[in-house]
Amino acid sequence: MTKRAARLFFFISTLLSALIFTVLTIDSHRQFPKLTNAADIDERVIAGKHVWHRENCTNCHTLLGEGAYYAPDLTKITQQRGAPYLREFLKDPSRFYSEARDGRLMPTLDLSDQDIDDLIAFLGWVGRIDTQGWPPRPILVRGSAIPGVPAALGVPAPQASSPDPVEQGRAVYHATPPGCAACHSIVPGVNIVGPTLAGMPATAAVRLKSPDYRGKATDVEGYIRESILNPNAHVLTGPTYSTDGRSLMPADYGQTLKPEQVDQIVAYLLTLR
Amino acid sequence: MRYRSQRVAYPYFVVAMLLFGLQMVFGLLAAAKYLGPDPLLNVLPFDVVKAIHTNLLLVWLLTGFMGAAYYVVPEESRVELYSVRLAYIQLAIWTAMGVTAVVGYVFRWTAGNKLLEQPFPLKVVIVIVMLMFLYNIGMTIRASGRLTTTEGVLVAGLACSALLYLPALFEFDNYTVSVFYRWWTVHLWVEGVWEMIQGALLAYLLIRLSGVDREVLEKWLYVIVGLTFISGILGTAHHYYWIGVPRYWLPIGGFFSALEPFVFFAMAMYAYYAMRRSGLTHPNRMALHWTIGSAVFSALGAGLLGLAHTWPAVNKWTHGTLITPMHGHMAFFGAYVMIVLGMISYALPGLTGRGEESRETSAGFWAFWLQVGGMFGMTMAFAAAGITQTYLERILSIGYLETQLKLQVHFLMLVATGAVFVVGVALYLWDFFFLAGRPVEAAAARAGAAPAGSTAG
Repeated sequence: MTKRAARLFFFISTLLSALIFTVLTIDSHRQFPKLTNAADIDERVIAGKHVWHRENCTNCHTLLGEGAYYAPDLTKITQQRGAPYLREFLKDPSRFYSEARDGRLMPTLDLSDQDIDDLIAFLGWVGRIDTQGWPPRPILVRGSAIPGVPAALGVPAPQASSPDPVEQGRAVYHATPPGCAACHSIVPGVNIVGPTLAGMPATAAVRLKSPDYRGKATDVEGYIRESILNPNAHVLTGPTYSTDGRSLMPADYGQTLKPEQVDQIVAYLLTLR
Repeated sequence: MRYRSQRVAYPYFVVAMLLFGLQMVFGLLAAAKYLGPDPLLNVLPFDVVKAIHTNLLLVWLLTGFMGAAYYVVPEESRVELYSVRLAYIQLAIWTAMGVTAVVGYVFRWTAGNKLLEQPFPLKVVIVIVMLMFLYNIGMTIRASGRLTTTEGVLVAGLACSALLYLPALFEFDNYTVSVFYRWWTVHLWVEGVWEMIQGALLAYLLIRLSGVDREVLEKWLYVIVGLTFISGILGTAHHYYWIGVPRYWLPIGGFFSALEPFVFFAMAMYAYYAMRRSGLTHPNRMALHWTIGSAVFSALGAGLLGLAHTWPAVNKWTHGTLITPMHGHMAFFGAYVMIVLGMISYALPGLTGRGEESRETSAGFWAFWLQVGGMFGMTMAFAAAGITQTYLERILSIGYLETQLKLQVHFLMLVATGAVFVVGVALYLWDFFFLAGRPVEAAAARAGAAPAGSTAG
């Protein structure tokens, strides 16, 4: 090969690559609106994006798997934790985490209520971007394997295709959304954000008999269903369960879950004896 | 050194080395924070430290590239620099920009966009500085009418760096679109036009250090740069996994980034070939070490370790884990840090007017081997941490925080090997500032007769 030929190789290959890249970029722009639900980008999402940048979030966290690796990925965080919890968390992260227990703690940011709502709107929009099935399994902030209880080990993967409603319920429980497993463990004594659901039927029976019970359920199945659809019917006072008598669990599962999915989760929780 | 104006490279190297030293402070701090607990949580949290660590790297590398260009271009074009004064003014503005950015980050003045955290006014300053630089270089080449392939590739690489910084000035409401164009700057810099710069500096150093025929080396430089762009431009697609772009970027990213190692292996072969022909006889053995080191380490860090997680079926699990800094640290060190240190080591005897053998200091050799060893250890620590994280957090779906607690032993390794690396950097700085001597007025005259000048041809 002569130097001339080498130069020609350089120019042609570079131009060709740049050309293909440009064409694909134009085509990507054609598809961005659909893939990212661009119609949902309102002024709150944009304001939330500004908060995201202003607070330099990306230099600890990843979003869409991009950023720094010092703090959890937040792509699906609104689906896992829900707005009521995130609002309280962003006001004071040290209420939910400690360096002593978790190794890391997020500093308390100086955010207004408006900032927090905008940020949650932004993260909610990001969570609905078509990420081609990523992450293949939920990325949890905390949970699943608390020391001594590796819940994820030795438990077969949930089978969503099974005809058994209990098995289907287990699949829904571990999926994101609805992200039940991101806050509730099924291991006795392990409370992630919400209380453990181990022994749920027995717990429900005790609460139903309690004089403090304010809900409308009359039996165990009804109690579990009510706690999913209306978390504020009977609020538990735990360190991370509620604020001012309001539960930190999302209250909109009645809209976001199909009725049969609720039935399946209830069926599954009834088996956690 | 043949031309008086080449001496302007020296202050550029001084600034680069000072910022390199500062980068290490923040790197060690960041590694210590991985171990925790963090007493500086509310004073200097991780995000600030990390932004400063990476920004200092980018700024000092660019400072080194520009200094190198001011050293190379007069020699290649056989003419004095168009304006030494302009080069000094440019350096002053550039340094002020860098310092302002770092201080700004501490006080939370940031654009919060990974690697492009510079607030908008500073981005404008960066563009102005780049234009000053390109004007100065352009006028120099114009005055001489002589443009060699090596300097052409070097200058084109720097010009394209300026051009590709422009997308960073725009803001998009759609986060996916803003990520899409962020990679035009970041990826096309480090896996595109910066490789042009690395290739050109490698060619320059190999021509000087090995004495192999320029025509042969420049021919292969074209091939290397051609391969860089075939794999690099469409290889941008490996940053377009899972972020809300069309699905066809997945196979394109897999295929073209699988070609990227060829570029680095070509560079390593290139260096090997040149050195075999010459028998490693050049008296500046320090420059030889860094030059060959760059060719080998970039093949490992950028080539092999990049390939380790670039295939979509693998990246699906490793995306956003500590596997990325494993690749990132060794790639940046091999491809860019080592080539700049090689360039500085090569230029120092000429700049200071001392003989080539003056570079035979034991501090210099310790600096090389401690940095190489330390970086290798850090890469291993990140790899062990990244693989474990991928398995526990991504495959077993164990919580992020529990997983990080299980990685403590690897973070301990990271801090230890990072400290070894920092000692290596400290020795390089010691050698540079206290052993290599200062540039003297008579340097040009004396260096003209030195062996480096005469073998240069």
